[in-house]
Amino acid sequence: MTVDQDTGTQALDAPAIEQALLAFLAEQIKTEVGPEEDLFGSGLVSSMFAMQLVVHLEETFDIAIIGPELKLENFRTVSAMTALVLRLREQQGSESDA
Amino acid sequence: MPESPLAARAAVGDLVGAQPAAWDLAGELPIALLRKLGAQGLLCAEVPQSFGGLGATGQDNGEFTAYVGSLDSSLRSIMTSQGIAAAAVRRFGDREQRKRYLAELTSGKLAAVGFSEPGAGSELAGMGTRLTADGEEFILTGRKMWVTGAGYADYLMIVALHEDAAAAVMVPTDSAGLRIEKIPDPLGCRAAGHCDVYFDDVRLPASAVLGGGGQSLPLLFTTALSYGRMSIAWGCVGILRACLQTAAAHAKKRAQAGKVLADHQLVQRHLAELLVAERSATAVCEQASRAWDANSAEMVVSAVLAKHFAAGSAARAAGSAVQVLASAGAQDGHVVARAFRDAKCMELIEGTNEICQLVLAQHALSSVN
Repeated sequence: MTVDQDTGTQALDAPAIEQALLAFLAEQIKTEVGPEEDLFGSGLVSSMFAMQLVVHLEETFDIAIIGPELKLENFRTVSAMTALVLRLREQQGSESDA
Repeated sequence: MPESPLAARAAVGDLVGAQPAAWDLAGELPIALLRKLGAQGLLCAEVPQSFGGLGATGQDNGEFTAYVGSLDSSLRSIMTSQGIAAAAVRRFGDREQRKRYLAELTSGKLAAVGFSEPGAGSELAGMGTRLTADGEEFILTGRKMWVTGAGYADYLMIVALHEDAAAAVMVPTDSAGLRIEKIPDPLGCRAAGHCDVYFDDVRLPASAVLGGGGQSLPLLFTTALSYGRMSIAWGCVGILRACLQTAAAHAKKRAQAGKVLADHQLVQRHLAELLVAERSATAVCEQASRAWDANSAEMVVSAVLAKHFAAGSAARAAGSAVQVLASAGAQDGHVVARAFRDAKCMELIEGTNEICQLVLAQHALSSVN
């Protein structure tokens, strides 16, 4: 997987996002996870939680995650989600999406 | 086109009129009515205006759903299915697909949604329906059962396994290799067009696969079911309102031995509990819709809680309403007889009572260390 880390001038950089996600997961699933840990393969994430995760990312990082972005690969690990958040903030910050 | 679905209530009430009893007995809704409501955007009122919809909030769509649910749960079930399909297209479709399908779903085309399989109800692991790439095209094989609205639909939105993940596909109902069999005499929502559907190498263009597929199966399910649960919860508020109104009106005018029913304290108790059920289910649904409209992560669990509470309340309340009406309501087609059967089915669909309880218990357990 290639990580497109074009942080630009955003205040939120990869380490900050990753930290926030790890803290959120630790709080929600009561388990410490690593940034490369497979959340779905390990059974850590329930079907209910998958949706909460998407909504949480949208709400927290002010992004919309729709269509092809909902590929499982984008959510499998904290580092994949971090890359997704960075990329969508970059894209959507520069769009005036109606 | 009405500005809000709530503004359309009176017109919808006129269109429906006294027909639900006959729909229940015949096991069929007039498809022209479904297309008419669909063309006004009323079957999936939350579709944004930029896509041709009404852009209703979850709260307004909920109140409208309750209104339709108070008239007829079969019609409300069609709204639920169309709304799930629209929500899934909005979430999982790419730009082109959102434009195309949301325009169709708000201009008279009808969609049903297939999840359950003989070996996979709430247990996703047993799913056997599979989507396979074949050159530029895709092939769908498998079967889905109890697909609400399939008897009327132009599209079936089907959730299938795809590669090592899942996909939602929009299957036109005139596709070769697709067989749709009506389920005879369902217990409730008798006119909702429930069918079993079979896919025997159905060929589909890549444009039918929402977002290109490869999505998380739990995510697809939870997204679709969350909308469905909100819709059913509000539909059950409608059942509660119909039962409360019908039971109170009957108790006030029906005289026995020189006394109206309403003078009997045991009848009053039924009315009190009907009122409590209607108000509390409304409050729970409003709370869930607020979470939904705020796009709060709370909405997932709130939708389960609302559906579970409203369905259970409606099932119990419908029993009380039949008790108050007695012989006056003990015939198929009657509003409380329909409520009794329809509400029971709402305790089964989109997560049975027991599955909802498991989810809610997990939530309770996960909030403590």
